[in-house]
Amino acid sequence: MISRRDFVRTTSGAIAAVGAMHPLLSWAVDNSYNISGKDRMVVRSSQFLDLEMPPEFATSWITPLNHFFVRNHMLAPDPIDVADWRLNVAGSVEHPLSLTLSDLQKFEQHTVVSIIECAGNGRGFFRPQLPGIQWGRGAIGNAQFSGPRLRDVLQKAGLKDSGKHVMFRGADVVLGKVPPFIRSIPIEKALDGDTLLATHMNGQPLIHHHGFPCRTLTPGWVGSASCKWLTDIKVLDKEFEGNFMKPGYRFPNHPGKPGEAINPDDTYPLTALTVKSLIALPAESQSNNRTIHLQGTAWAGEADITRVELSTDGGSTWKPAKLGHDHAKYAWRLWSYKWKAPRSGDYTILSRATDSQGRTQPATPVWNPSGYLYNTYDQVKIHVQA
Amino acid sequence: MFKPSFFITTLFLSLSWIAAHAQSFDFPDAPKNPQIKEKVVKSCTACHQSAVVVQQRLSKAAWTKEVDKMIKWGAQVDPADRDAFIDYLSVNFSPDKPAPEFPRTDASQ
Ligand code: HEC
Repeated sequence: MISRRDFVRTTSGAIAAVGAMHPLLSWAVDNSYNISGKDRMVVRSSQFLDLEMPPEFATSWITPLNHFFVRNHMLAPDPIDVADWRLNVAGSVEHPLSLTLSDLQKFEQHTVVSIIECAGNGRGFFRPQLPGIQWGRGAIGNAQFSGPRLRDVLQKAGLKDSGKHVMFRGADVVLGKVPPFIRSIPIEKALDGDTLLATHMNGQPLIHHHGFPCRTLTPGWVGSASCKWLTDIKVLDKEFEGNFMKPGYRFPNHPGKPGEAINPDDTYPLTALTVKSLIALPAESQSNNRTIHLQGTAWAGEADITRVELSTDGGSTWKPAKLGHDHAKYAWRLWSYKWKAPRSGDYTILSRATDSQGRTQPATPVWNPSGYLYNTYDQVKIHVQA
Repeated sequence: MFKPSFFITTLFLSLSWIAAHAQSFDFPDAPKNPQIKEKVVKSCTACHQSAVVVQQRLSKAAWTKEVDKMIKWGAQVDPADRDAFIDYLSVNFSPDKPAPEFPRTDASQ
């Protein structure tokens, strides 16, 4: 057996030969996706740009930028010229602000290592199938974000006591009558010292796909709470009302059976991410020798990972993995496990994580009509050679 | 390894890979109602790429909601064509169809 990646590489060589014979086939070969700064990412959509990290790239604590997933709801703006860019701070504040990038750089700078995960990561595994980007396992990454604290900027604007929620809007382009992508976060999270107006990711100025020149980082929360190409911050007296707060990004208070309808009033807005693990290596369908170094990551939103366990016998027995030494409050934790397969054959490897709030990944996904927070055991099917 | 069969297998895999990719982000023809495909392509790729639509595997009820939502959001669909849009989408992108193959971006540092 060969890995999926080798498969594509081998067959595209063959296609090039076949393509010489037939013009239609050669068109298929030319249909490549060259997205600046993004390396071998799965293209879920090229417009709007939605790129997924292949799980086998999740072997480092900090995800390199070229492997960090991209999720856009709308059309990305043209690359922003810093000279024209302003960040407006308005709403329930004493003195509304209009800040340049260099104004932002004058605030105390703070660095946070955090995951960002799309709430819909894993949506493609729900049955019955649900509308939306059919993410597999890789709409997740862990990066180092730096910039001023949102709190310091709100305080400079003279935050009023009446302010209870903080709304973000970015420069993404809204088409037709589509509701703009606007969401808000509660004031407690906005004032948390780790919630940032990030201008840097992994020590470099943000790249365009991640929201240059400035994005919010709402650490540990669903990705939609972190707004790219930020242009407007508005302090509100109540939660923002709009499509992407309701019906978007809500979870049932009482999740039902798969396929069951949910009363939209019996739902709550998504906030922190849940407990989850990802098997990076061996990759799905990969062929291996009997001694295998299993590796992956695990995360739990605002909680800490306390345990990752692996099963190679369909979930009858579980063995603890070794946790990596790098850790930070909102970051993922690497894990590894040396396994000697008892004999050659096909195996399913399962992983499950437990966190400091006592949550463990469930054996079956929690069904909800938008396909959010899929967090059942991760699994890969592999082949072991004699 | 037996070479001729390897060649045939490679050729077959290549052709099915091409079929999967050529097909993956394209709307299939609608033999019974040839114009509807053209109308869907025009209307449903005005804002986003076809991939957003063709990767879905939905029931007729779910497609009905999607089409109505997109019309509300500004998709140009002649009211007389609404039902044909829903039929076309729910026949071609139904839950029993295999998931599409997704391409990868080129290699880049
Ligand atoms: C006016 C612009 C526009 C047009 C025209 C349009 N769409 Fe969309 N569509 C969107 C946007 C914006 C999204 C993404 C929303 C998001 O990611 O949150 C979307 C997403 C989708 C999705 C993913 C599921 C979802 O609801 O997010 C499907 C399926 C879809 N569109 C189908 C269609 C079909 C079918 C048509 C043609 C009838 C169509 N679209 C035409 C704007 C449009």
